[in-house]
Amino acid sequence: MRRVKRATGNEPLRRAASRALVAGAAALALLGACAGGDDSRAGPGAMTDAERAAQVAALFDAGVYFCPMDLDVRSNEPGFCPRCRMALVMGLPEPFDYAMDVTVTPERLEPGGTARLDFAVRDPWEDRPVTDFEIMHERPFHLFVMSQDLEHFAHVHPTRDSDTDNFRIDLDLPGAGLYQVLADFYPVGGTPQLIAHSFIVPGGGLEPAVVGVDYTAPRQGENLRVELVTEPAEPIAGQETELYFTVSPAEGLEPYIGAWGHMLAVSDDLIDTVHGHPFIADGGPEMLFHLTFPRPRNYRVWVQFQRDGVVNTVHFDIPAKALTF
Amino acid sequence: MKTASIRAGLAAVLLAGAAVTVEAHDALTTSVNWSQTVSRIVYERCASCHRDGGTAFSLTTYAEARPWAVAIRDEIFARTMPPWGAVKGFGEFRNDRAMSPSQMNLMVSWIEGGAPEGDPENVPELPEFPPESPPAPEPASVVRNGATLENAIRVDGLFPRDIPDGGSYPIVAELPDGRVEPLVWLYEYRNDYGHAFLLETPLELPAGTVIRGIPAGSSLALMPRPAGPDPGD
Repeated sequence: MRRVKRATGNEPLRRAASRALVAGAAALALLGACAGGDDSRAGPGAMTDAERAAQVAALFDAGVYFCPMDLDVRSNEPGFCPRCRMALVMGLPEPFDYAMDVTVTPERLEPGGTARLDFAVRDPWEDRPVTDFEIMHERPFHLFVMSQDLEHFAHVHPTRDSDTDNFRIDLDLPGAGLYQVLADFYPVGGTPQLIAHSFIVPGGGLEPAVVGVDYTAPRQGENLRVELVTEPAEPIAGQETELYFTVSPAEGLEPYIGAWGHMLAVSDDLIDTVHGHPFIADGGPEMLFHLTFPRPRNYRVWVQFQRDGVVNTVHFDIPAKALTF
Repeated sequence: MKTASIRAGLAAVLLAGAAVTVEAHDALTTSVNWSQTVSRIVYERCASCHRDGGTAFSLTTYAEARPWAVAIRDEIFARTMPPWGAVKGFGEFRNDRAMSPSQMNLMVSWIEGGAPEGDPENVPELPEFPPESPPAPEPASVVRNGATLENAIRVDGLFPRDIPDGGSYPIVAELPDGRVEPLVWLYEYRNDYGHAFLLETPLELPAGTVIRGIPAGSSLALMPRPAGPDPGD
């Protein structure tokens, strides 16, 4: 297990501010170069707002590297995303959707049994099988599994079947009802894909989960405790919410599959699934995630942090209010 | 608790960002732009209606789409646009109009990042739009909630009828052998959408299958698979 040097309390602030200032300076330098190269704009204020906006926008077209996972992370040089550690790629994403065939066996699923899921990915151009995948967070294929009552959650990694080249995994099915899986992969030459698939274990209803609204109490994981403060205190659907997590003890905190933390937010009716990583984190006790709850519903938010080789998974139930005037 | 230190750090980040963007009056914080990315999603998911000659106002140019950016985000979040009316992943449909989670992420990143245009030369050509999916052929087996199929049917598509606006209705088939197959999860469906849900792969439903989840007063037409090769063959 790779160990990292723990940061002091002020280091997140310094590093985040430093990154932003470097990016800002580079952008301003480019802006200055653009303006300076045009004699018709001799003095301050000679440029229209539209021209300035066009120049700023041009920054994003001029050899900018971006993170395929955190799309707002960008750089004028190759490197790694400071948030999720993925390699930055040049250019801009093309929104091609790939197809994913899911085979669930056995046909008759039983509560308390297992299901084997096979995933075959096809390209959007020729419908050909896709066999080359980028490594995202140390794995080529991530899978989130949620039961309908939201009592069962798993973040697992199907492996390549040597016979079919498909990804395959066996899942435990603790109860009856609807299961939602969210596949997360990145085909070489494509863009990161998030594809949902549902299957049903007979014997249960299909009613939405009953999710509480208590997110102020700390949660105890296997070997650490997690506290959450949100800003705003009462999140509003459609508006960005900041989630400040504090873990204790923080000694021994480690990256887990390539990130200091992982988050999955799922609405009580299983329709919204939002996956994210810390916006600011460096191995210290505090981590900031950004999250926009899509609809005014109750959400269960799972977070995962690793300490001393142990993965801690805890959840908070958070209501998102409708925006009212 | 040192949450305040992160908040202070964030303020510094935002101030630094403001130094870049304040002169443009538009806080651009995303690498996703209209020309390279968003236009392609709009052409695929929106422009069959939102275009000149379509059934709704045009969104095919940056100038047309930009003023609607926030409204577009809200409609996407609410699942009211594109007007598909079903939850993604609950059944697979070959005429699926819904945005994928990846596309939703890109659209929201673009809108919340200031909705930049990018280089107009990267905008693709507007595609041609095929005719709308056909209505349920006659005869179709029209079933209500709890109906038991008297005969086996190879289902090719589903056509909801008289569905209450704005509800959430997962509809399933309970097979005699105990399996439960997802058919379609209607969500924010409106009857004036007027489209069928055409299955990616035809579904064999034996006699004795029970259809559940259809709201009271509504029905579901099970469209039989016509003779001939399956879609994709």
